[in-house]
Parts: sequence; C-alpha cells; structure tokens
Amino acid sequence: MTILQDATKTKDHQKSPPKSTPLLLVIAGAIIVVALTYVLPPFRNYQLATIGAYFCVTAGLTVLTGLNGQLSLGHGALMATGAYTLALWQNKFDLLLPGIALAVLVTTVVGGIIGLAAARLRGPYLAGLTLAVAVVVPSITSTFDKTFNSDQGLSVALDPPPGVIPVEQWQAWLCWAGALLTVLVLAYLVRGRFGRDLRAVRDDETAAKLAGVGVARTQVMAFVVSAACAGLAGALFAVLAQSVSPGAFPLTLSLFLLMAIVIGGLGRLTGALIGAVLLVALPSVAQSIAEDAGSQHLEGNLALTFFGVVLVLVMLAAPGGLAALKFPRRSRRQKG
Amino acid sequence: MSTRDEQGLYIHHTTVRFGGLLALDDVSLRVPPGRVVGIIGPNGAGKTTLFNVICGFVVPQAGAITLDGRPLRPRPDHLYRHGIARTLQGVGQFGGMTVLENVQVGQRRRARPEEAYAALERCGVAEHAGEYPGSLPYAKRKRVELARALVARPRILLLDEPAGGLDAAEIGWLAELIRSARTTVLLVEHHMDLVMSVCDEILVLDFGKPIALGTPGEIRSDPKVAEAYLGAPA
Repeated sequence: MTILQDATKTKDHQKSPPKSTPLLLVIAGAIIVVALTYVLPPFRNYQLATIGAYFCVTAGLTVLTGLNGQLSLGHGALMATGAYTLALWQNKFDLLLPGIALAVLVTTVVGGIIGLAAARLRGPYLAGLTLAVAVVVPSITSTFDKTFNSDQGLSVALDPPPGVIPVEQWQAWLCWAGALLTVLVLAYLVRGRFGRDLRAVRDDETAAKLAGVGVARTQVMAFVVSAACAGLAGALFAVLAQSVSPGAFPLTLSLFLLMAIVIGGLGRLTGALIGAVLLVALPSVAQSIAEDAGSQHLEGNLALTFFGVVLVLVMLAAPGGLAALKFPRRSRRQKG
Repeated sequence: MSTRDEQGLYIHHTTVRFGGLLALDDVSLRVPPGRVVGIIGPNGAGKTTLFNVICGFVVPQAGAITLDGRPLRPRPDHLYRHGIARTLQGVGQFGGMTVLENVQVGQRRRARPEEAYAALERCGVAEHAGEYPGSLPYAKRKRVELARALVARPRILLLDEPAGGLDAAEIGWLAELIRSARTTVLLVEHHMDLVMSVCDEILVLDFGKPIALGTPGEIRSDPKVAEAYLGAPA
C-alpha cells in the first residue's frame, strides 16, 4: 500500500469534516456584515463596528495567548499606541488609510520591543512585564502633555463618509474590513508552519528546539503579529470615537480582552469573535439593567461582575470556551 | 575536505562541571558514519550530559566537537542544519497537536504531509495520524517521537533511552529500526540486551569519566565495567 493510499485511509478513518477555506468564510462574512448594515438602525451599526474593532484585537491576542502560551495584560496599551498614532497623523495629514497603516506599523515596532523582552520571561514574570506596559503607556500621555494633551486626550480629524452613507454604516464597513483582513491573514498564518511552531513552543520548548524551531524567534513573532492586530484595533477605535484619551484604554480593558478570549475559546478565531461580541453585549446589558435600576454607580461595576460570572459559568460548563462547545447532532431519519 | 579519519562526529576531551560536580571528565569519542555507538553507565554517569553537549544545551568548560573535521558549535534549534536529530528521555510531545502535526514540526526544509505519513508508517503509527498523542499508549507515543526525529532524514540520530517503558516486543521492533536506519546512531540506554545487540561500539561512563570503550564483547568481559555497572555474572 502506498503512503498516499494510507493517508487517504487515515483521513477516512478520522471522518473529519472538510476544512473550510478562510477566504470563502471571509467573503461570506463580508456579505453578511454589509447586508446587516443596511437593515440595522444606526446605534446597532455602531455596536457592529465596535465588535469588528474588538475582533481585531481578540483575534491577535488569542494567537499570542492561546496558540503560543504567552500571557499579555498589556494589549490595552498596545491599542492606545495605535489610537494615538492615528490621532496624531490625522490631525496633521488627514489621510485615513495611510494613518491606519502607520498605526499598525508603530504598534508592531512597540510589540517587537516588548516581544524581545517577553521571550526571555515566563509565567508570572511575563504577566508582570505586560502589566507594567499597561500601566506605563497611558501615563506617558501625562508626561508629554504638549503632544498627547494629558487626560483630555486628542480629537481625531476625520472626513465625512463618501456619498450619502450614514457615519455608523461607514464605520461598520471600515471596522469589519479591518477585522476580516486580520482574520484572513491570521487564519492562513496559523494553518501553516508558523502555526505549528507557535503550538510546538507552547507545548514543549525543549522538544520544539530539538525539532528545529527557533523558540525565541517564534515568541517574538507571535508578539509582533498580535501587537499589529492590537494597533489596528486601536486605530479603528480612534475612528469610532473620533477622539483618544488615556481613559479609553484602562488596565481593565486588557483584563476584559483576556477574559473575552478565554470565555470565547482560547486559540480559536471563532472564540475571538464570540469574545468580541461579549465585549460589546455584556456592558450594553449591564447598562440597561443599571438604567432600569436607576443607579449610575451600578453601571460601571456591573459589566465586570457580568464578565466574572460568565467566565466562571463557561469554565464550569465548557473549559475550552464557548467555541469548543459541541452540541449533540440530531439523528437522521432513516429512509423507508 | 575532510580525510577519512575525520569523517563523522568527534568529541574531543570534553569536560563539563555543574558547580562543584564534575559531570564529564575529559571524555573523547569518535562516531564514524553509519556506526551505532552506545553510551552506557549508571545513573548520573553523564550520558545525557554528553548528549546535551552535542546538542548545545550545555556548553563544556573544556573540549570541542567536530563534524567531518569541521568545528561544531551546536545550537539546539540549528541541529537539523547539521543533519542531527535527537529524541528525549520522556516522550517530549506537543499535546495540543495531532500525531501528524507532531511529525510535521520536525520537517524544517519542506513540510510535505506525505513524508510525515511515511515516517509514521515506518514507525508503525500511521493509523493514528489524526489523533492526539495524549490518547495513545506510551509505547506508541515513543514511536511518534522517533518518527519526528526520522522525518528530518538525519545523518546522526541521538536516541536517549528509547527503550524506557517498552515491552520485549517493542524493544525487538526498536532494535530492528536501529539496524535498518542506515544512519549514524548514538544510543544512551540501560537495556543491555538492546545495546549489546545493535551497537558496533560502546562507551562506558562512570561519574563522568570514560572507563571503557570497545565492542560489545569487549565491554561484556571488561572487569572495570562489571564492577561499575554491569555487575559480576551469576
């Protein structure tokens, strides 16, 4: 029996469903998003856009933490880097797409520098380093207040959307274009050798080294890729809010991002999507409850409580996250 | 161009100290191409340390390694460039990846799935290609690790206690694989029947010091080896 015949036999034996092409899924996703933006009211379109922006960062973070095993508590700060870069660029040149590209580039460089240090650290020390980044980056805005305008932040100069497209619809298109591009790049990256190397380093560094994997190089690359995604998300948030300030990127944002990918399912892009939806939906639900209860104090804390409760419940019911949930298939009716 | 005497792996007067502990004491070994050389000795004799020196995990205080007459400054993740592959004492596997993906990690230059299947087939575990290694019995996981080492088509294969935890039938299969590997093999092993049956030459270490080097017959009859490791015949 030839090797190929054996391979076929093994695949038959597994009876695994055929893998879908990322490009087809992204095209389908784009069609669904565009269709949704025509039927949703403006506020829902804004929420849809926010999900798209969050999806960029959660997808990058799940590659770093889920596939490569590196814990980051500093992705909120990387988003801030992207957002401030775009704000500074827009206020000077007012060219959105090159500005977004520059935001990604700057954040990638920052991520590379953090990644170089992170590749030498493990476990709590790595968490400590990224936590320091999350604390330090917003404080830079106060130190260099002439550039970053301290706590007030910067407004982002944006041209109105082309034609008669409503702002929220245009924002949703822009954010989801970024999200789907991110997903497409990440899906192809993690399917090949890079993805195998990421997981090999996560599972056993010594065995990975002996198999020829450059452990430090892989870890730095994971950080760079993840930082680029966070930079894109930050730039999109700046477009959404049309302003940036340190208060928009607190330490709790980094914690929320981490909780979101754990609840969604670590190491899965579908998990990152579920996490992004939760990041928008849970605070919205919390706000509704707080408004009904007539308490403004409740609103700030309820979202965190919700996330905590959902995290505990999901970990009890599905330790692999919501994306790993398997529902029993309905049995087919027998013919005749 | 290297002369015939320089061909293969040559470990020159290597000494390794861990603080006050002398792990390897002036160890020299020549491993000519195509030979199977065993390294035996009691626990703590320095066998795995010698492997770690060859792989670049441990930097010796003295000595050198040459490959085909050229100095070898090993780095674990660059071993494949020199045609060297190694298995670990444990199973050293990637639990979050399928058996096939585990083997594909070892393919650095080309990652063709057919070649990975071929390596799995050679090791008798091709039918488990789509499964996760954690779901397999220990002996099969060892075979997967061997497949990952073999898929790189190494010139020199370092096997660190490959027979640990295997039954007699599995050890028989392993002996056959080593004999038919058509590559240079360095074997660290406690299973004496396996060592004596497959090795062309054996180095015996005791407290980091080489106490004997010779053919299996010479090693079996060496009184120093019997005293330090093998024990006197009943």
